[in-house]
Amino acid sequence: MTAPITDARSASGTATEPLLSVEGIDVVLGRGWRANHVLSDVNLKIWPGEIVGLVGETGSGKTTLARTVVGLVRPRKGRVTFHGTQISGLRGAASRRERRSGHVQLVFQDPLRSLDPDLTVAQLVGEGLKIRGGVDPAEIERRAAGALAKVGLDATLLGRTPGQISGGQRQRVSIARALAVDPELLFCDEPVSALDASNRNYILRLLGDLRDNLGLPIVIISHDLSSLAGIADRVVVLYRGRIVEDGPVARVFTAPRHPYTALLMASAPSVQHDRPLSVHQLRRTAADPAPPANGGCVFAARCPFAIDACAVQPALEPVPEAGADRWSAACHRHDQWQALARERAAVAAPR
Amino acid sequence: MSGKPPPDEVLSIDDLHISVHDGAATAVRGITLSVGAGEIVGLVGESGSGKTLACRAALGVLPAGCAVSRGTISFGGEDVTDLSRRGWERLHGTAVGAVFQDPASYLNPNLTVGGQLAEVLRVKRGMRRAEAHQTTVELFTAVGLRNPERVFHQIPAELSGGMLQRVMIAIAISCGPRLLIADEATTALDVTIQAEIIELLKDLRDQRDLAVLFVSHDLALIRELCDRVVVFYAGEAVETGPVEEIIDRPRHPYTQALLRVASVGDFQRRELQVIPGQPPQVGEDIDGCRFAARCPAAIDACRSGPVDLTRLGPGHQARCVRAGDPELAAAAEAELAAR
Repeated sequence: MTAPITDARSASGTATEPLLSVEGIDVVLGRGWRANHVLSDVNLKIWPGEIVGLVGETGSGKTTLARTVVGLVRPRKGRVTFHGTQISGLRGAASRRERRSGHVQLVFQDPLRSLDPDLTVAQLVGEGLKIRGGVDPAEIERRAAGALAKVGLDATLLGRTPGQISGGQRQRVSIARALAVDPELLFCDEPVSALDASNRNYILRLLGDLRDNLGLPIVIISHDLSSLAGIADRVVVLYRGRIVEDGPVARVFTAPRHPYTALLMASAPSVQHDRPLSVHQLRRTAADPAPPANGGCVFAARCPFAIDACAVQPALEPVPEAGADRWSAACHRHDQWQALARERAAVAAPR
Repeated sequence: MSGKPPPDEVLSIDDLHISVHDGAATAVRGITLSVGAGEIVGLVGESGSGKTLACRAALGVLPAGCAVSRGTISFGGEDVTDLSRRGWERLHGTAVGAVFQDPASYLNPNLTVGGQLAEVLRVKRGMRRAEAHQTTVELFTAVGLRNPERVFHQIPAELSGGMLQRVMIAIAISCGPRLLIADEATTALDVTIQAEIIELLKDLRDQRDLAVLFVSHDLALIRELCDRVVVFYAGEAVETGPVEEIIDRPRHPYTQALLRVASVGDFQRRELQVIPGQPPQVGEDIDGCRFAARCPAAIDACRSGPVDLTRLGPGHQARCVRAGDPELAAAAEAELAAR
């Protein structure tokens, strides 16, 4: 780690400068007829010390966004700036140096597949330091044990392989592997999707502690909204490659401004049964007027409130009531659909 | 369920024990449960608690090295515990259908999904080609697939996870079984799709009077779907009862712990709870309650000998020495009400 960056972090208690800034990112995977527009005009800022929840369905581009930030995917347009340095345009040796610095770490989904089954925990956790170079083996081992301690794992696991430890422990090893290189920003891709409720809460609490103790900003990719509510400061909702809502958890989950956010909330299973809106009030039915054909708002085809104006993709704009909060939504009818939804039937029409 | 007459019993499992590792250990210890026609029963518990093994025994597809060592399984009165492989083949599809977590791995990636369902109809129900095609399209419509004629000719890779799970459900119900077993059938799906599949299962139950055995590790999901629930812990049923009763008045400390870690669903910030400790190893011999080591309310009596299920109300039973302790019950209810 270089000195200026450390200084910037320590001075960022009430930072106005974002740590990471993603501006106007377009990502296209594949070429020719296979080309698939995965991300469109994505703008995202991560401020120091915050936990951001990134939610969206399969194929919405959550993982691609994380991979773009760490430099595994090259965007067609737009830029990624970290600490004022543009990292998306780096090439060759400069790109390699940035990647090996470990400033931004990505914890991959499914540790069983992302961890080499033949390496021991000690080798897995120390690998990043070894690749970066300039650290002697004894020091690597010491720091690997230190990283394990940070995630609440005993050093006795160091000699085991991923197949010999439990699912929750594997996930913690994945996180320790990222922490070993002292990152300044951590991306966790679905860290809890394969775990039961108790282990899920354990991992989320662990991430919360890392933020509190190390001041480490964390982006958690997840589809489980209610557990994000317990830990994240801000939530970013992606739908088919576009951010449709971005704001503080307390405000978004109290009064969502995008119908898709509301649908996600209404769909989440819970042990209590009093929801402000039911899924049937937010789902398109055959009786609704046809959405604008071709193009337009990414959500229009599933949105029961789509009107002619929705033939144009709305920009992600600040919500008027947001005040000092950074809260924005991309919906032409962000202040109208709630009343319309309440008028709809709360139960399904018989088929 | 108390006011209604007892439903027509479809699946009945009595004192089921399953040995694993060629008999070296016992992973399921004395499970008793029944599922009636038109009823959805949930099995909940953490990984390794034996809920999937119990399901597989009820399907006659226990993995190698596992066997029913004691107890009986019966479908509508017919004992199927020691059924031959051929006997099970007769029952698969016609008496019991199943859906699992990963629909794509149960379908041939090179064949159209419609062709795969039509094949089942031709083999199991002796239909001719045109009739099988017609019935497949009807089944696809019944499970809520839009544009079934088009889906018929698509291969699995062209369909989303939610659509594939609908195809699997169509295959599972194609030969008119009375029982559907769904083992973590929605775990891999997006939350909006999960909600749709849950509704589909409810609709099928209503329309076909289907009995459903639904396995999940998420009590919140069980609450959305099931009529009754059996809570598994370390191979035993520790609490069983109507779902509303279990959610509102859980009597076993493990059920209470599961409720503490489940999603409340109000999206408010609260401390995320965990269940401390680890479950015992499979087959570990423990005197007394198997949850005692992790239980905040454990007393000496918990460790002195086997604990039986205590009857607490209509259909509500808990395997806890202190199940009738009014002080504990009041404390648990106060804690839940405070959420």
